[in-house]
Amino acid sequence: MRSDYLPDDLKSLWKELALNPVPVSADGLRRESKKLRGGLRLRNTFAAAVCVFAIAAYGFFFFRSRTAMERIGSVLSIAGGINVIVQFLKRPGQTVPDLGAVESVRFYRAELERQRDFHRGKGIASWLLPLLPGPIIFNLGFALDRPKFAPIVALQMAGFLALAAIVVPLNLRMARKYQRRIAALETPRES
Amino acid sequence: MWTFNVDETRPGRSAKSQEEYWRQAADEYGAALQRLAWAYEPDPDRRRDLVQEIHLALWRSFENFESRCSLRTWVYRVAHNVATSHAMRRRRWRAPVFLTLEDIETQEAPQNVEESAGRHQALERLLALVQGLDFIDRQLILAYLEGLDAESMSQITGLSAANVWTRIHRLKNVLVRQFHSGGTHAK
Repeated sequence: MRSDYLPDDLKSLWKELALNPVPVSADGLRRESKKLRGGLRLRNTFAAAVCVFAIAAYGFFFFRSRTAMERIGSVLSIAGGINVIVQFLKRPGQTVPDLGAVESVRFYRAELERQRDFHRGKGIASWLLPLLPGPIIFNLGFALDRPKFAPIVALQMAGFLALAAIVVPLNLRMARKYQRRIAALETPRES
Repeated sequence: MWTFNVDETRPGRSAKSQEEYWRQAADEYGAALQRLAWAYEPDPDRRRDLVQEIHLALWRSFENFESRCSLRTWVYRVAHNVATSHAMRRRRWRAPVFLTLEDIETQEAPQNVEESAGRHQALERLLALVQGLDFIDRQLILAYLEGLDAESMSQITGLSAANVWTRIHRLKNVLVRQFHSGGTHAK
């Protein structure tokens, strides 16, 4: 019957797909690979520099602050910054992903789990959450000591809370979507 | 018929350089990798980027190759994994609607592919079908269209050979239904 050979015919049809040559050379790849490594190093250095700057700034505030609350906020901010640097240093140093050693289903599941955890706030949140109490307490102390700046600080806080009220449910919805796809992947379809 | 072939592309123990492995991969699978990119990226410019991204990932991966599996398995794993990441990144906020085989099996097949379209349109339809599938089925149908055997598909995807057989059987049925309604040939 024709239906027996049709799928095979589609194989030859598939091979007719128009292919525009994509220029790829060994030298180009070598250059890109080096650039990628350099980019990762630059990113890590930048993040560390931001943290060092924040630590230095709050160190300055600690000595110049007028209230205990501002000082507590400064100390907590410094601790949060140090935590981020420590987390960065503890990260595995592998720069070449072992993509060929991972079967595609396992890789896909890992990607889905990574996306789900990202939207649930795992990972990044564990780095960023310790950073929050310091600036909040510092700003509160700043506003209490200098009432004329209180409306600005209150506005900042309100903005932050409003953003959280939108972003958190949206992310949790995305996380549930990824969880459904993981569940579908784990449902056996052998019959 | 699907046969469990011994993969003849498995390299020997002799240590090749990263560049030699990449050159061999680009020579033997370059066209297949470009077709693979079609299945994941409809936009021509982004598709070009994806092909380059795959080659860069291959280049980097050959630092760690050490002949742990056949070159073909390695190349397809890297390519599918890079393409999957690419597609997921692109569609993170667009809530992609992937079709399962069950969805496609219940869709109405066209009355007659030959009447409504020529070979070019049949190819477009095939491409649309492939692009709409969820990643795992997409990988399997791509491997099938490239002529890989079930054993190789099992090694690339990590699915059991029996599962691959079942899914391929269903994919072939879907292809027959979608492209062969009315008993006419797509040619």
